[in-house]
Parts: sequence; structure tokens; C-alpha cells
Amino acid sequence: MPLDTSSYSLALLRLDGRRWNELRLLRAQISTQASADGSSYLEMGNTKVICTVSGPTEPKGTGGARAGGDNAEVKVEISIAGFSGVDRKRRGKNDKRISEMATTIANAFTNSLFTHLYPHSTITLSLHVLSQDGSLLAALINASTLALADAGIPMRDYICSCTAGSTSSYSSNDESADPLLDLNSTEELELPFLTVATLGASDEVSVLVMETRVQVGRLEGMLAVAVDGCKQVRDLLDGVVRTRGKKILEGTTKL
Amino acid sequence: MTSLKRSLASDPSAANISSKVFVRSTRSGKVQKIVRELYLRDDIPCSSQLCTSCLAKAPRDAGGVLVPFVLSAQPAGTRAYPQGHYLVPDTNALLNALDLFEQTSAFYDVIILQTVLEELRNRSLPLYNRLVGLTKSEEKRFYVFFNDFRLETSVVRDVGESINDRNDRAVRRAVKWYSSHLARAVKAAGGRSKKIPAVVMLSDDKENLRKAKEDGIEACSLKDYVNGLENADQLLDMISVAKEGRELRDAKAAENLYREYYSVSKMMTGVRNGTLHQGIFNVSPYNYLEGSVHVPTFDKSLLILGRENINRAVQGDVVVVEVLPKDQWKEPSTKIIEDETMNKNENADAEEGEAVVTEKERRALQEEVKRVHSKSTEGRPQPTARVVGIAKRNWRQYVGHIDESSVSQSVKQSRKQQTVFLIPMDKRIPKIRVRTRQAGEIIGKRVLVTIDSWDRDSRYPVGHFVRSLGELETKGAETEALLLEYDVQYRPFPKAVLDCLPKEGHDWIVPPSKEDPGWRDRRDLRHLEICSIDPVGCQDIDDALHARPLPNGNYEVGVHIADVSHFVKPNNAMDTEASIRGTTVYLVDKRIDMLPMLLGTDLCSLKPYVERYAFSAIWEITPDADIVKSEFTKSVIKSREAFSYEQAQIRVDDPSQQDDLTKAMRTLMMLSKKFKQKRMDAGALSLSSPEVRIETESETSDPIDVKTKKHLDTMSLVEEFMLLANTSVAAKIYEAFPQTAMLRRHGAPPKTNFEELANQLKVKRGLELRVSSSKELADSLDACVDPKEPFFNTLIRILATRCMMSAEYFCSGTQAYPEFRHYGLASEIYTHFTSPIRRYADLVAHRQLAAAIDYEPLDASVRSKGKLEAVCKNINVRHRNAQQAGRASIEYYVGQALKGRVVDEHGFVMKVFSNGFVVLVPRFGIESLIRLRDLADPEPESAFDAEHYVLRTRGSRELSVELFQKVLVRISDVKEEGTGKRKVRFELVSAGEA
Repeated sequence: MPLDTSSYSLALLRLDGRRWNELRLLRAQISTQASADGSSYLEMGNTKVICTVSGPTEPKGTGGARAGGDNAEVKVEISIAGFSGVDRKRRGKNDKRISEMATTIANAFTNSLFTHLYPHSTITLSLHVLSQDGSLLAALINASTLALADAGIPMRDYICSCTAGSTSSYSSNDESADPLLDLNSTEELELPFLTVATLGASDEVSVLVMETRVQVGRLEGMLAVAVDGCKQVRDLLDGVVRTRGKKILEGTTKL
Repeated sequence: MTSLKRSLASDPSAANISSKVFVRSTRSGKVQKIVRELYLRDDIPCSSQLCTSCLAKAPRDAGGVLVPFVLSAQPAGTRAYPQGHYLVPDTNALLNALDLFEQTSAFYDVIILQTVLEELRNRSLPLYNRLVGLTKSEEKRFYVFFNDFRLETSVVRDVGESINDRNDRAVRRAVKWYSSHLARAVKAAGGRSKKIPAVVMLSDDKENLRKAKEDGIEACSLKDYVNGLENADQLLDMISVAKEGRELRDAKAAENLYREYYSVSKMMTGVRNGTLHQGIFNVSPYNYLEGSVHVPTFDKSLLILGRENINRAVQGDVVVVEVLPKDQWKEPSTKIIEDETMNKNENADAEEGEAVVTEKERRALQEEVKRVHSKSTEGRPQPTARVVGIAKRNWRQYVGHIDESSVSQSVKQSRKQQTVFLIPMDKRIPKIRVRTRQAGEIIGKRVLVTIDSWDRDSRYPVGHFVRSLGELETKGAETEALLLEYDVQYRPFPKAVLDCLPKEGHDWIVPPSKEDPGWRDRRDLRHLEICSIDPVGCQDIDDALHARPLPNGNYEVGVHIADVSHFVKPNNAMDTEASIRGTTVYLVDKRIDMLPMLLGTDLCSLKPYVERYAFSAIWEITPDADIVKSEFTKSVIKSREAFSYEQAQIRVDDPSQQDDLTKAMRTLMMLSKKFKQKRMDAGALSLSSPEVRIETESETSDPIDVKTKKHLDTMSLVEEFMLLANTSVAAKIYEAFPQTAMLRRHGAPPKTNFEELANQLKVKRGLELRVSSSKELADSLDACVDPKEPFFNTLIRILATRCMMSAEYFCSGTQAYPEFRHYGLASEIYTHFTSPIRRYADLVAHRQLAAAIDYEPLDASVRSKGKLEAVCKNINVRHRNAQQAGRASIEYYVGQALKGRVVDEHGFVMKVFSNGFVVLVPRFGIESLIRLRDLADPEPESAFDAEHYVLRTRGSRELSVELFQKVLVRISDVKEEGTGKRKVRFELVSAGEA
């Protein structure tokens, strides 16, 4: 049994050697899959996801008029690989948690994409989780942002996301609880945490999900840290997009 | 607030990212491979006050607060390291001798490595918790260095390297880094190299020490290190002998005396499919070779007889047992067997020729078998079992004294290490073998030891000496022994707790201005004629009362309880301390407070003539004692008078007193009698335990006499209203918080508990004990009278009390409503509310009630079920311990009061064995054993009629003793030769109706 999160107070170090306000290593690539309209691969620590975007396209099947109406519809499909967690486990399409994440992501992007430019059409995001180590929803949102940018769909700004937690659990009344940025799976199991996504570098929150109990007094600190983390994430994502753009302009990479 | 990011430039192959991969198996047997990231960094400080470069990079928490550096700039030196030194213990050093590290005389400036901390946590959680406690104490200067996260000191396990070797290497690497880092730091500060403290690795692993020498690291074994300290002899004893001893014995390849325990998985499977059973092991107080285990599968406890079957279980351990075949079932022993008398002359050092069962024990067993065999088939053999494994050891520190006979005379004065026996105070704990160098010094003293191990090849557990409490029979040593034995926290309150007290100290007063926030939602009840009634000399006055007639003919009655929750806010240091202490412990000459004196005896205490904050329960009650309405409010009161029970009684009985206060007390008295009658009609039990009071000399507080407690009507007056308050509050908080109310229940005792008593009554007196409900029991207990012997009824009540379950605190969400019942009080719901100064449960109830009446929001800690359950569990244990400690203290003082005196007193036979009987002397509230061999010399022959509970003797003395018989005994005190222990001794003067 390795140490648990209670050891934070001993030296202000988290279980993986980070400080309270440090993100994990975030790496990403775009245009990873030539056949898709847009695609991305993103790692936040050991959480690894890929995203492909198809669309905007006309909705499949009949009833073209039914779908979307004046705005494009954003569809999100998430599949979690059986090998992604510690235990090999298959999760069906109808898993409640998965469909809730899908809805959250779809809602967020419906509001930030210029969907009115594509009436009667669908934008499909398909997300695949290859490895899970906490902050899954945040990683999925970030990967989606990158893939949508790659697909060239106009948007108001990046949606950037990360999680924040608190060093002390709900019922332990630790006065000096520090907020924590970007939790890994061990921390998520033991501590209260929330997922925040903001629109670009602004303080405009587009997603806020919290499923654990936390004392109200700690919420503000957690939110502040998370929003700050989102700004960091935005710079990182922007860097990825710009590097790719520079390469295209230099002609080292084909579009 | 800024966030840092890890640089993107760092490639996966970059040096500052690493990962840790390990395999673990889950409880269900699944194997999981865990991959974790590790971010290596260079800003983990060394925390030495000598170093300035680390200070610049030191981490800050979210509030921007810098963690202060702990390791002293001028650490203490020893003979070997005159320049001063920091210690770096490895895991084994901590496992073997954490007691040493807790010493105040040495072991300062210690660096605990992350590697070591992690390994310690794997090996022993309690030790880990103690160590974490140490690192938090400021004066000990312990620093946790996260070596695995620091770039220079992180170590990756090599192919083929064992995890232990890797950890040892990590420790050496960290030690090496520390010494070079400190050298650099001192040089940078311009200091001379002489002043660089040595960094010393402590390890008991020879291989590790050798490699350290090779690497040029300062290292030494724990023993060598301690030898270099000033008080080496004392400290050396505290190094666990477990390891050393084992090596020694391995060499000898001694035979194993006990059966091997089953493997954990075998035990778990067995328990799950019902072939094995798990329960807490309890030793019979009369026979140390007889234990019992109550398992959930059966109503009655399983018997465990004999050392082999007990198989190294110690009182309180959670054991796994296997039921023995039916031909080995036995009756519980009717014989008294004491370790002291059986195995007096054992040699603690002798290793060879040690058998589990000594010759004498074997003979005792033979007689036992003969008796069982000669008996008719009516004897009901009970299922027996044997211990096959220990689920959880419950070893604590034990108080006892050294068996003088086990100390060899020749070495008494020398410093040679030798093995001696420690006889624990608690008879149910076996002797403990202790290796010590101070045998000569600690003879005749109370000493504290811990058990380290109990191997298959050792008859007794092996432990080590912790410290000496002082001479046997001195008041200080005996009191401390009691407190330790019952795990009472008796140390002075730490500064953090005292800091929570109001700044004004004793000058604190109720704010004169009603605008003060303290007055918010408080009712002004200063005009009421309130008084308190308590025992003589009571300083912590929890409760006060008032009563006044209302115009409609009803009465208004108020119970006012000290408003402790105003002063003790949830989750500060004082609250935490109080929740750990759980209750105030009353000893004969000492009170160990739950809250600091300032609160307990002054600011909270409802002293007369001063204004105090209170929490009041006010009822309108009809003259027939029906409650019309009740309300609860925070208030300010001014008690008019603090009476003792006696004073109040005199005042009530004196017809010339016609003032308002006395009239109010008479009203209360009248109502309380009606309440009591109602309770009795509902089936409340009036139970009994022998209660005595020690009279002490006022100057020296030496005991001079023992008096039985007198019962006064004023006592039941107070009691009735406290019960009323408790019940009403219980109902109120349960209504407000159905899931998390703090309540108290008293379970109905299972019928089997009363079987023996009922049978005894039937055989001896032809009386019937009906136990189907508390009402039935109360009625049949009332019928148990002997017209000639008024005490007989009390005796039966005392015995019945011992058959009861103990009442317990619980959190309402954990039980179904019918289970809330308080059996003894015949109340549907009950809690403790009226003594918040001395019980933590009451404080919780206060907070919940305050929230229920919307006075203040409920704190999270009393809203979470899990937290409350933990609190309940702790205070239940503390409560029981406090009671036992109180009783043991009285027992000790009774012994002291009788010192040097010889008294003839009447007593009653409570229990009859085949070789002795137990007599209770109500005058002193003590019970003691009279063995056959105490009756006459030579020991008279005896015949024991178990069916009729009669013991007849022939030969040197002829008499017959039966259960419930009144006998005359001579009480004296003797100092036992072998143990130097003073004991109350009974001698039978006459068995007849004297």
C-alpha cells in the first residue's frame, strides 16, 4: 500500500511529486488521422484519448429536414477501451456516465461552435479513450477542441478544461485544505473534485461538473485554481495548433 | 494565483519524468498492475536551517505560507559525532524501536525518507500513524524528505533487484546526497567544514551497513548508536528483542510448542463458508487457561480450554477458531486456576525443556477430567474450540511488575542483560518475557512494557521494557498505572488546546450589553429562582433546575445545562482533544478532565451567584406530571444557590423553610416522585452495584475509612429531571436529524444471560426470575426478597446487573427505530444531554439540538454518519474504560484503607467453585476469593455439588458453603512474598448464620 493523499500535508507534495498548482504533462497532436475531417491525440499524464471529427455533413438516412433545423447538430460518441483502466472492463454504449459525459460535451460545443453556418447538418465527434488516469472529461473536451480546430469548423474560442480538487475530504475538517490542480485517478478516488471548462482565456465557464461532496468554503478556491488551470491548458492547445499551422506554412507538412 | 506548468520541452525521455509500475493484489484475489507517473523535481528542500539555497526554492501552500525548516542548525552531538548529526533511520530501525524515537532525551533532528515511510506503512499502520504524529510535533524536529521525488535521489529498481535491496539503496543514496548537500550549503555560507553535521544512517541490516561503509556513508546499527548516548542502559531495553531473539533461537532450532496458524486466505475462506468462526477472545477472570469467544453464528460463546487451544491468543485479540469434535466438548471449569500459583518457579531464561503444559497444570487438568467423567450425564458439556489464527492482534502497552523470583540474584546489581518475567496487572494477560539490563532497578516498581511477538517456540510472549512508573503502592505510580491500563489520556492539555480558551481567562463574564453577539437568540432567564444540586465538593456543575407555579395550576419546570458548545467550537484543537478523551474520569483522589479546568470548573460550570450561559429545556407540567409542552432555548441564567444533596434534603425536610427556592424544590420533589412511579410502571429497572465512598484525610488525602453510599430523595429528584431532559432532547434531535442524531441505547439482554442466575435462584430459593421483558424482570426482581436478610434483594440485583448488556452511544442512522430502546430505563429513545462538561456525547447532542432549534447551522462533522459512528465507537470505549478505572481506583483505596487492619465483616457467597468460593462484602464493596487451601492446613477434602451449588469439606475443617449464604469473614491485607503485591485477603470465620 503506497502512501495516500493524506501525506500531502507532510511536505506539500502530491502522490506523483507535483505541487498543488501544477498540471500534469500535457501533450497533443492534431491531424493524426488523414482520413478524418479533423482529428487529434491528447495525453494528460497517463490519460490518453483520441478524437476524430466528421462533418459538417448532411444527416444520414431519411428525414434530412428533421435533423438540426437552422443550426448544425453536434453529436458526441464516446467509447472507452476495455484495456484503458486498471481492470479490464467493457463498458457499453448505454453506460449512464458515458452518456452524461457525451451530453455535457455536446452541449458545450453546441454553444461555442458557429453552428448557424451549417443548417441541416451534423457534426460528429467520436472520442476513444485509450488509457484512463483521472480528469477524463477534461481530456475529452480538450481533445475535441483540437480536433474541431483541425477540421476547420469556426468557433468562438477554444474550450479548455481541467479538474481541481481539495486536499481534504468532505468530512475531515482540515482548516488548511489546499486546492489541487489536475487530479489523477488515485486523487479522484479519495478527494472531492470538479471539472471546469472555460471559453479560451476568458473567465467564462462553459462546463462545470462536480459529483463529489465538498464544503462550500472550499469551492471558491477550487474554482479559482481550475479556471487558472484552464488558461494554462489554452496556451498549450494553442501552441499545438500554431506549431501545426507553422509547419503547413513552411510547407514541411501537407494540409 | 498563478499556476505553474511543466515545460512542454520535456520529452518523455527527459530526466524529470519517471513512472512507477507495480503489481498489487486486491482483496478478492485479483492481481492489478498499477502505473503511476512520477514527476522528479529539484525544489524539494533539505529543510536544514543551515541551508540557504533550498530556502529560496522552498514550496508554499495555496495560502502562500512557507513551510518552516525543521532541522536544527546546531544539532546535538554524540561521542562518535561531536560536530552534531542528523539521523536517517531505515524501516527496520523504526519497526523495531519506534518507542526510542519518541523519547525526549534523545533522537532529535531525524530525517524520515519517503521510501521508509511508505515501507513502514505497508508493514504496520499503527506505527506509521505514530510516526506521522511525531513528524507533526514541533519540538522533536522530524522531517519527511520525499527522496523518490527529488531528481538526485530517486532510484529506479534494477532488473533482478529485490524491492528491499532497492529501498536500501534509495536510503543510502539519500544519505549520501544529504551529506554532500550539507557540505556544500555550509561552504556556501562560509562556514568551516568542522561544523558540518554528520548524516547518520541507522539500520539493523548488516548487509546494508556493509554497503554503506563501502560507499563511505556514516552508518551504524541502532544498538551501537544508542550505546553512544548518555542514558544508554535505559534506552537499550527499548530496542525490540524480537529480531535478535529470533535469530538466536533459530540457531538452536528449538521445537515448536504451538501449532502454526492457518494462512490468511485459508482463514478467510473458512470464515466465509462457515467452517471457521471469528470473534474477540476473552479470558475468564477466574481461570487464565479458559477463554471464550463469542461468534455471530451461535448464541452462546465457544469455550477455549488450555494453552494449546488458546494458541498464543491474548485477551482482546480478534481470533479465528475452529470448533472441536464433540468428544472434546467440556463444561466450563468450576475451578479457580491462577497463573501465579501454578507456575511460580519458572525460569525466564530457560529455553530448553520448555513445555506448553507444565507438570502442575497437567495435574490440575487430570482432576478436571476425572470430575467430568464421574459426573452423571446431566452435566451439559459445552462446545469447545481452538484458535487457528489471529485476524487482528489487539496488543497494547501493559502495566505490571517484575516477577522477582525470575531475576537471578547474582546479576541483580550488574548491568548484564537478562530475561525476566513481567506479571501484568490484568490477570487475563499472560506473563511477558522481557529482556532488560536494569532488572535490579525495576524490581518492586510498576513498569510499562509492550509485547513484540509471540512465536511458536516460546511459551510466553516476548516484549520489551518501555518505562518505569515508580515504586509499587505509591499513589503516583498506582494512579498512573490505572490510567495507562485503562487507556485514559491523562497528559496535560497541549498548548494548541489551551489556545482555544477565551482570552479573558477567569475574568470572562456574560457580556453586560444585550447587543453582544453572545446574546443572539438567547433568552434572559436571570430572574428565575434557579439552583443546582450536586454531590459535596462538586466543581463542574453541569446542571441547574427551577420550578414555578403557572396561573393555570400547572408548573413550569426548567432544566438548565452548561452551554459548553458556546465555548468549544467544532473541529478546533480543543474539540478534537475532547472527542479523543471522550469523558472525564473520576478517580478517588483525582479527576482527569475532558475539558481544560478553566471551562470545566469555571466558565461553563453553573456556579451560584454569577451569570452563566446555559442551554435550557423548559416544560409545562401538570400536577399529575404530564407534559403539556416543552421547548428548548439557549439562555443566560444566574443560579441562586449550589446545594449538596444533603443540604437540599435538609432544606426540603425542614418545615420552617418557606422561601421560594425551597418551595420550588418541594415542587420538583413532588413531580419527580410521580415521574419515577410512571417509569417504574413502564418497566424501568432499578439495578444495583456495590457502591462505596472513600473518606480521606483532608490534608494528605490518605484513605481513612470506607462508607457505603447513602441514597437520598434529592438524588432521585435530580436524576428524574435529567432523564426527562435527556429523553425530550433525544426525541427532538431525532426528529430534526433522523439519520445522524447522537443517541444512547441499551439492548435487551439475551435470555441466555440470565439462565444461570435464574437456575441458581430456583434451586436455592425456589424463586422464579422472569426475563421476557424489562417489566417482568423488574417485577420478579422485586419479588426476590428474603425476609430475614434485607441485603438479599440487593445481592440479586447486583448479580442481575452483571447479566445485562452495556448501554452504548450510537448514531440514529445505523439502527432501526425499535432498536433505539433503552432497556434499563424503559424508554423508547434516549440520549445524553445533561453533562456536557464531562461527556463528549452530550456536547454533540448540544450542537445537534442547537441546530434543531435553528440557533446555528449544524457543523459538517456532526452531520456525517461515518464521522459520528467513529465518535460513538471511541466514546463507548472511553466510557467503559473510565468506569473501570474509577472502580479500580476505589478498589485500590479500599485496600489502602484496610492496610494494617483486621476486620470481621459479613459477606455473601456469590459464586461457588469446586476448590473455593467468592464472597462479596457489601460494607466495603469488595469481593474476593477464598480457596479451599486457605480454609485450613492441610487442605481439607471437599465434595462439590454443582447442581445445588454446595461445597462440603471434610477432614481438617468441616463445613458446607452454599450459594447466597451469609458468612462471616475476616478481612486483612497481605503482601505476597513472591510478587510484592498487596492484596486484600479474606478468611472464613464461620459459615453458619453468624
